[in-house]
Amino acid sequence: MLALTPADYDAVGLSIKVALTAMAVSLPFGIVYAYLLTFRDFKGKVLFEVAVNLPLTLPPVVIGYLLLRLLGKQGWLGPLLEAAGIRIIFTWKAAVIASAVVGFPLLVRSIRIGMESIDRQMIQASRTLGAPWYDTLATVILPLSLHGILAGSSLMFARSLGEFGATIIVAGNIPGVTQTIPLAIYEYASSPTSEELAMSLCVVAVAISLVALFLHEVLGKKLVRRN
Amino acid sequence: MEIRVDVKKRFEKFTIDADFAVAGERIGVFGESGSGKSTLVGLMAGLHEPDQGEIVLDGDCLFSSRNRINVPAERRHIAIVFQQPSLFPHLNVRSNLLYGYKRRIVEQRSVDFEALVSVLHLEDLLARGVNNLSGGENQRVALGRAVLASPRLLLMDEPLSALGDDLKFQIIPFLRSVSEQFGIPFLFISHSLVEMRLMADKVLVVAGGRIAEQTTTDALARSRMGLSPVGYINLLKLASPRRLDGLFAYKWGREELLISAGNDKAEAIFELSSKDIILFKQHPEAISARNLFKCTVANTFAAGNRIGAELVCGEKTLVAEMTRQAAAELGVTEGCELFAAFKASAFRRLG
Amino acid sequence: MKNGHLQRLLCLFILVLPMASASAGEVHLSVAASLKDVCNELTDRFAGSHPGVKFMKNYGGSGALAKQVENGAPSDIFISANLEWMEHLRERRLVDTTSICTFACNSLVFVGFADRGVFALKDLHKLERIAVGSPKSVPAGTYAMEALKNAGIDRQLGKKLVMARDVRECLMYAERGEVDGAFVYNTDALQARHAKILFAVPQELYQRVIYPMSLTVTGSRNADAAAFFRFLQSGEAKGVLDKFGFAVK
Repeated sequence: MLALTPADYDAVGLSIKVALTAMAVSLPFGIVYAYLLTFRDFKGKVLFEVAVNLPLTLPPVVIGYLLLRLLGKQGWLGPLLEAAGIRIIFTWKAAVIASAVVGFPLLVRSIRIGMESIDRQMIQASRTLGAPWYDTLATVILPLSLHGILAGSSLMFARSLGEFGATIIVAGNIPGVTQTIPLAIYEYASSPTSEELAMSLCVVAVAISLVALFLHEVLGKKLVRRN
Repeated sequence: MEIRVDVKKRFEKFTIDADFAVAGERIGVFGESGSGKSTLVGLMAGLHEPDQGEIVLDGDCLFSSRNRINVPAERRHIAIVFQQPSLFPHLNVRSNLLYGYKRRIVEQRSVDFEALVSVLHLEDLLARGVNNLSGGENQRVALGRAVLASPRLLLMDEPLSALGDDLKFQIIPFLRSVSEQFGIPFLFISHSLVEMRLMADKVLVVAGGRIAEQTTTDALARSRMGLSPVGYINLLKLASPRRLDGLFAYKWGREELLISAGNDKAEAIFELSSKDIILFKQHPEAISARNLFKCTVANTFAAGNRIGAELVCGEKTLVAEMTRQAAAELGVTEGCELFAAFKASAFRRLG
Repeated sequence: MKNGHLQRLLCLFILVLPMASASAGEVHLSVAASLKDVCNELTDRFAGSHPGVKFMKNYGGSGALAKQVENGAPSDIFISANLEWMEHLRERRLVDTTSICTFACNSLVFVGFADRGVFALKDLHKLERIAVGSPKSVPAGTYAMEALKNAGIDRQLGKKLVMARDVRECLMYAERGEVDGAFVYNTDALQARHAKILFAVPQELYQRVIYPMSLTVTGSRNADAAAFFRFLQSGEAKGVLDKFGFAVK
């Protein structure tokens, strides 16, 4: 039987909340970014391509540390944030930012593949029929790249569930506030007497991931059939 | 419609330098693959920007490098029918048709939805998705979609090239009738001379990215006669067939043509090559060809190493060709009388 | 014949020598994080008078260290920040029971910044974020939670607590200003540069902070480890402890 403490339930709820929020916050940026990379040419495009892949290659702890240097009290944006009364470090917002940054490349990559598979002539048709770029984006490009968007979102969701390195640095381990499942398991892992509790939480983590991946497969197939 | 274009654009492997002015409602653009026809279409529609030049439609300047004008594609109101229909797969037929229509302000909508659906026979297809349509249905919907956007000019870029012969000549009447009924001028791009002759009166010939000449489709066909392996194609629109002796007899002016490839449909278009018409100085005693007519030579012209003769039989005209030697032997001159013969099997039916 | 024998013996000896000297010269320490500075000085002094001895030091939360030893991490001497984790290893027969003794004592304080109006435990609710070692594995955290529970304010402070993986991380959070205050040992507070001691946690609210130390079973077979262990109980060592602010019984 699963042995879960109230703090564990908190961790599960928090993990899901952080992952969903990171996904929701990143989607608009991800779509615009993918659109620019797929359909527009501009000076310095190469830099954008490299920048979006950077978090994939950096160790998450490095990302966490850089975020801390940026958003911390003594960081580059620190004084600005403090003046505005915004507190990010060691709040759940930091956990969302950590997950969003780490998962962004996966999101953009998937959406881009979806967008690139659209027949260019369709987009030309849309324009000649009177639709400006934003209209074409909303009525033609987005519906046709839906499978890419969904694939990217679920991938990002799954990645967020497992995010640890950046999260622990920038959001800290605060039960009920920022302690997501990986952080809770880490805490258990340091303690010699919590084997059973740790295992229970692991089982829950695996179950959630399976559900996310299963949904991703099913939805993906549905869209492929429709198109 | 008055079109004035003078554009230059350099691509990696190809440069386009087109300069022409033409007026008319049904204009053709003729050229081989790779001659630059599609590029010209893209430049006129605003999908690509020329390096320099000017595009003016009916006095409206759409592009001018000198005056820094570049009207974006979505505001040029030039609709395109492509070779591949490019219908939106996530919308049904009705939504596809109405895509451009919805984006026009009400006062500028000059095409009525019901009328168009009726002309293109799309009533039964409206609720269907676009993924299971046949080739012909696809192109009719694509055409409808373009026309419903009430464009000031319709560009048709090889719209028939992806269709089989049967279908091609079924769609051509739609293309013309839609343009006539709704008053939308078009530019018809193709590499097929036959299609060109059925669709357009004037034609621009494109080669190597430049406008090689500007002429009428008929003159173009005649000038190509000597070069083409099929000669000059006489296009005959015939009606009212009756069966006769295993053949089909179609009314042709005061005469009748006997054709083996006919069918029971009320109307049909036939091709008869200038190479298949045999000329006699005198009426042959007996001849296996079932079509034999007395005609007068209206004029002759040179085409490559052949001589073409325009023959008038009753009210109808046919073009025949022969070598210079043959023309000399028969004494083919303007005004002389000859007999023209061709077999019932020489005709090819279009569509 | 004799030469052949001699050669073979020589080879064997040469092969064995590095191994022997390797195990002879290395001492693995698993030490609670709060003892880091004092331990470093003690090892430096010992190494000064015993050249050839190499120390491999592992500092961390005592619970995490105990778990590592349990899982087979190399360790000759274990110094914990509370009795619980020493007991844990003793039950599993991973330490030499006869060697268990007290190394030092400490007390719990609260550090932070002076301008918040915090003078006692009851004022903590005014703060937003408080760092504390994870009670699951860090003794300083266990003591702190014990004190909070006995003072009746543990539930009130629920979501303000940031879990650190050892007491040094607690201090770092406080020093950086990412938290408003932290529960650390008196000895850690003395090392702090920016954070100040706001108050000492009343001793009656928590168990005495005692650092038990012992030789592990492998350590008891290591001559150098045993020598260092004796050094840790010497007067010189006690003097160093005192210098760093540790109470010595």
